[in-house]
Amino acid sequence: MQPSISAKTISYVFVFVLLCIYLVPILLVFNVSLKSFEDYLNNPFSIASQFNFSNYTEAWKQGNFSDYLLNSLLYTGVTTVVSIILAIFAAFPIARGYIAWGGFFYLLFVMSQFLPNPVVAQYRLMLFLRDNVHSDIGYNSKIGYMLLRTSGAGLVFMMFVGYIKSISRELDEAAGIDGAGYLRFLFQIIMPLIKPIIATGVILTVIGTWNDLVGPIQFLSSPEHFPITAGLKEFRGQYGNNWPLLACAVMIVAAPLVILFLFIQKYIVNGALAGAIKS
Amino acid sequence: MYPFGRGVTRLWPYLLFALPMAFYLMFLLGPSIFTVIYSFTDVINIPGKAYQFVGLDNYKDIFFAGNSAERIDSIKRTLQFTFIVTIVQNGLALLVAVVINQKLLGDKLYRSVFFLPVVLGVAVVALIWTLMFDPINGPVNKFYSLFNYSDTFFGSFTNSFGYIIFVQIWMYMGHSMLIYLAGLQSVPKDLYEAGYIDGTTRWQSFKKITFPLIAPAFTVNILLSIIGAMQTFDIILATTDGQFNSRTMAYDVYKETFRGSLEMGLPSALSVVQFLFILLFVIVAIQLLRKREVEY
Repeated sequence: MQPSISAKTISYVFVFVLLCIYLVPILLVFNVSLKSFEDYLNNPFSIASQFNFSNYTEAWKQGNFSDYLLNSLLYTGVTTVVSIILAIFAAFPIARGYIAWGGFFYLLFVMSQFLPNPVVAQYRLMLFLRDNVHSDIGYNSKIGYMLLRTSGAGLVFMMFVGYIKSISRELDEAAGIDGAGYLRFLFQIIMPLIKPIIATGVILTVIGTWNDLVGPIQFLSSPEHFPITAGLKEFRGQYGNNWPLLACAVMIVAAPLVILFLFIQKYIVNGALAGAIKS
Repeated sequence: MYPFGRGVTRLWPYLLFALPMAFYLMFLLGPSIFTVIYSFTDVINIPGKAYQFVGLDNYKDIFFAGNSAERIDSIKRTLQFTFIVTIVQNGLALLVAVVINQKLLGDKLYRSVFFLPVVLGVAVVALIWTLMFDPINGPVNKFYSLFNYSDTFFGSFTNSFGYIIFVQIWMYMGHSMLIYLAGLQSVPKDLYEAGYIDGTTRWQSFKKITFPLIAPAFTVNILLSIIGAMQTFDIILATTDGQFNSRTMAYDVYKETFRGSLEMGLPSALSVVQFLFILLFVIVAIQLLRKREVEY
């Protein structure tokens, strides 16, 4: 059925208006980031007359963004890799029935989405670890924060179980007959085979960790441990009214994931879709 | 049967499974259970200090203590937030998905742009809208002045919460839209052609063909919205920081735990009440949605 011309026109107008509501704020922030402070005060939203990139170097230096960026890279890299491996360790034996009580454990892991807010006891746990085990793995430590963010349960786990079930079991038997061990089979056969769903899981985890604002604010108190989200909040506290500098900071924080997004859009879309259908 | 050897090697799956299990128990499931236990105690924020069970005292404090009015306001606001976000976000996302799905030029671009805020993250999104909503120089106020109106936005006691709801929907509409698009792409095209031959109107074909067939996407989206909205407070933290009548239950839990008194029983009880609300809504939603799926 072909939509009528007028219906198409209305659709384009609707989408165009919505596009403006999404793009204009982002473009305006970019525009402000190029202005000098005086220019911003006089004409806040005129098109920047000259590109004032010195704002960026200043924001970068004043805001310690190189430190925050390194922390974010560390947190995102480690928690993503470990979470994905943990999710495979959990999903494979459950999908195949290689451990007893698989159905029960499946439900237990899926339940992670619906649990009562654990933050009060997490806070106590982190304080306990700091005071009784080591100050480097408890409250206000890099490792402590990564431990809290790392999880093999949840949506990624569910997607993995669904995907692994679609891979033929005969593969396991053939590899077993050839003498492959469990660990070797997981890393050399299964992981390459489930690459598409791993890509999706990686992206979902990266977006979640990189953009986590609440976790650092709750469990990290020294700025030297902050990732860029908390760093941005800190920066805003200091430069509350200097919008050109703040806008640069916003651009600096947003850039890495947006660039990544441009390259791997396909996987993100597939990821959101896969997550939806499987659950 | 297990094909990777016998004897001790049979333990490998268990050994490796123990790792995610340990993480889950220690950092998620365990704390969650302990939070429920703490809600019945007078535990305070000093590690190692003994605590006692106090029955339902913390729950009574939520509803009947001196500052209960504020807490009940938070609960009302949480419900308001959940209802508005769930309904508006899903309505809009479904509309956008249906519009984009009719093969408009540049449909992939629209899809990416609407999903972009999720990629930007809440810290960035909050700052973008703080700039847009700047009461002195902001473009939205400039726009309002055309209608002889002005606002203080996130600094307004009456309106800040409404703007937070707007930003939340702006941020996550694209995510719901993607899920609807996935559902729409699974609808067979020949159904529409059959409908067209029978002379259905566009609204009829949406109501009788599209909507029933994307029921799974609808269910997933509604549940995700309810659970997400009930637990959201990062957007509040990043915009008003709980000032100007914008606190919700999730924000209260955070505030009482990390920035309030030493008492931790009360925020635990709040977490449990919040959980009970989520449970109730999810059960009601599933019942309603299932009924709808059966009808067709």
